[in-house]
Amino acid sequence: MPSSSSPTSSPPASAPAGAATAHRSPAEVLHHLERLALPVLLVIVVVFFSLFPPTRDLFLTTDNISVVLANQSVVLLVAGALLFPLICGHFDFSVGATAVFANIVCAAAMSDFGWAAWQACGLALGAGALVGLANGVVVARFRMNSFVSTLGMATALNGIIQWYTGGLAIIGIDRRMTTFGSTTWLGLPLVVFVVLVVLLLAWYVLTHTPYGRSLYALGSNARSAVLVGLPQRGYTRTAFMLSGAVAAVAGTVLTARTGGANPDSGTSLLFPALTAAFLGTTGFQPGRFNVPGTIVGVLFVAASVSGLTLSGADTWVTAGGISPSTPAVDRDLGA
Amino acid sequence: MDPHVTAPTQAALVARSVTKAFGGTLALDGVGLIVRAGTIHALLGGNGSGKSTLIKCLAGVYRADGGEVSIAGRTLELADMSPPRARGAGLRFVHQDLGLFDELTVAENFALDSGFPIARGGRIRWAALHEHVTGVLADYDIDVRARDLVGSLRPSQKTMIAVARALADQVATEHVLMLDEPTATLPERESRELMRALRRRADRGQTIVLVSHRLGEVEQVADAVTVFRDGRVAAEHTGPGLRAAEISAMIAGGAFAGLSGGPRPSRPGEPVLVLDRLCAGGVREVSLTVRRGEIVGLAGLAGAGKSTLLRAVFGSRPVTGGTMRLAGRPHAPRSPRDAIAIGIGLVPEDRHAEGILADLTVRENASVPVLSRYWRRRLFMDRRGERLDTAALVTRHAVRTDGIETAVGKLSGGNQQKLVLAARTRRRPALLLLDEPTQGVDVMSRAEIYATLRDLTASGCGILAASTDLDELLVLCDRILLLSGGVVAGEFDPAVHSREEIVSAVLDDTDPTRD
Repeated sequence: MPSSSSPTSSPPASAPAGAATAHRSPAEVLHHLERLALPVLLVIVVVFFSLFPPTRDLFLTTDNISVVLANQSVVLLVAGALLFPLICGHFDFSVGATAVFANIVCAAAMSDFGWAAWQACGLALGAGALVGLANGVVVARFRMNSFVSTLGMATALNGIIQWYTGGLAIIGIDRRMTTFGSTTWLGLPLVVFVVLVVLLLAWYVLTHTPYGRSLYALGSNARSAVLVGLPQRGYTRTAFMLSGAVAAVAGTVLTARTGGANPDSGTSLLFPALTAAFLGTTGFQPGRFNVPGTIVGVLFVAASVSGLTLSGADTWVTAGGISPSTPAVDRDLGA
Repeated sequence: MDPHVTAPTQAALVARSVTKAFGGTLALDGVGLIVRAGTIHALLGGNGSGKSTLIKCLAGVYRADGGEVSIAGRTLELADMSPPRARGAGLRFVHQDLGLFDELTVAENFALDSGFPIARGGRIRWAALHEHVTGVLADYDIDVRARDLVGSLRPSQKTMIAVARALADQVATEHVLMLDEPTATLPERESRELMRALRRRADRGQTIVLVSHRLGEVEQVADAVTVFRDGRVAAEHTGPGLRAAEISAMIAGGAFAGLSGGPRPSRPGEPVLVLDRLCAGGVREVSLTVRRGEIVGLAGLAGAGKSTLLRAVFGSRPVTGGTMRLAGRPHAPRSPRDAIAIGIGLVPEDRHAEGILADLTVRENASVPVLSRYWRRRLFMDRRGERLDTAALVTRHAVRTDGIETAVGKLSGGNQQKLVLAARTRRRPALLLLDEPTQGVDVMSRAEIYATLRDLTASGCGILAASTDLDELLVLCDRILLLSGGVVAGEFDPAVHSREEIVSAVLDDTDPTRD
């Protein structure tokens, strides 16, 4: 912009940006409350089950925390994988199937072909990234609706999984892999730290790189974003590739945790992850998909389900009951 | 003609001491308004002056903090107003977004508002519906059929459909119709036609309240004018004979001497854009030159190819023939990204669809075109630098906002447009393409936008501006090219040619059937 003195530089009625911090209006206070509503809810749930007589002695024990976190590590990664396409405005319903596919690839490489653990993990990551690339090309290049095309991808992956395994579990993987999966550090399973590192990287890419910022712009208004020169196709393709790769990390973590692979459909991973990602939009940066919100979302669901299970609820109590409440929470707080 | 017409001196709507505060700011400070029956009453004022807030308080969209309104003798407290009550009292609103469904027929659009006539068994009585709607259309002199798809209609016809639909349930002319910027997106001929249609309704006794930024049409059509400034009524005028220049002085409150583009450059520099027989879509063999430091206007009716031409230069429409040269070099962008990289900027026509990122913040919108600038050492985003730059940008371009972390969707139209212009010129383009640069923008924001554009030309930028608003081109441009049927049909110099000459060229040249 021209820096020469402009006649518009000091209009009397103009509210200078940032001057509104002098006093906080009720609306602003509400806004801050909203940002923290989800973590506060998590704390309330944890406190409740720590004091509630039937679960008091079990809920806040190292064992329970360890089990819950380990079980949620795969869901956390799948939810993290979902964020990339969701932020740039696309669904990716194949992340669950991609995770299982990577799980199968990883286990089969070790069990059926005798590969070493690190080779198998590399292969699984590559396979996941390839699946993501295929999704990305279909959505970005051929402009197919991601809702339909990624559901199709999930179905196709399921077909491949069932064809290869014949519906049977794969066992007999590299010993080092199972050891890694059961090792604990600081009282927590090692995989939890792997998940943390991956999510930290995802958070960094999404908030501290031009690429991540561009994804938010594309998701907000793709036509505007193209007209300011963002490469929509390339960035969308990359988002799906990252999604596939992170889902593949979830698959390898699953291999390490279970010591093999189950030819599962992946929906048991997809739906809790979707729930968490959407629940996450109510916190920290309301209205936006974000990594910290998603993590708290997963933990909120996990803590609620764990608490209810420990207090004697039936096993059908799942994340499903929590997802419909998401919009309600958001609306009640005046989003 | 109509036995129920009320005497023209009687007040149809009286609002008294309407007050509304948002947070600590008084958006309306004891505003009063008297609208006489059977007149067209224009509400004017800058963005954020309170006219829209008043309309929304009357509509019951906002709860006013105080005040009352009398409609046809019935008095209602505005603090208890709600949309059903406003409707019950006989207020009808047509918003800028008309709420029509393009893929449905005119009759279906009517029925979705007032209900389908149903026969026994839940079947829709299509014949009865079409007959009824045909009657309404005839009554409103709208020359379309009930079975036409709304998407196939011209913009002024669509607006009149929305008007007729809003008033469909009145017996005579007892309702008060409120139109919010009906012509903001209409080209000259369409808005004239709409104004004539509204005038005919008013002459038959309809009371109409009109919010508009286009002073020319207000001058033509309004019987009375109320001007808002800073939440108060700044001036009122009744009766014809008000000139646009006087109105803009009333809006700006004396601090403003009317729109002008500022001093023109004495000598434009070397050519920055040269088109030689360019063909693209509806554009056939356009040849033109834009020099550094000059503003070239593109006039013409909607569909004359103005937008297509800009898009072709910007690389988002394929070029089918001819050549382009940018700063002396052959120019053949394959995408907007290419065009931006070699120094072209575009401010698109439809700021909602192509300009802003509505749910992102002012800061994010301002930074999107230059994100890599803040990518320090390929390691982290320089948030602090970004905030400082954004604050400076917002101040320099007089974007009124509650802070740089406000979602852009919450800003008023004029401020959104200033922000889009500010953001898209951050790379200091050598050539700036503008498509309807001040559509739906109030007169003061316009002046600020024009000043920014003049600053840009002073630093050597060439500007090609397409606009359906001739007054804008006259004020802003050094030369005006008339685009008609995809070719340049004439060139005008605002300093030499009068407005009338150019208007008649735009209308007559392409439209021999004009009434």
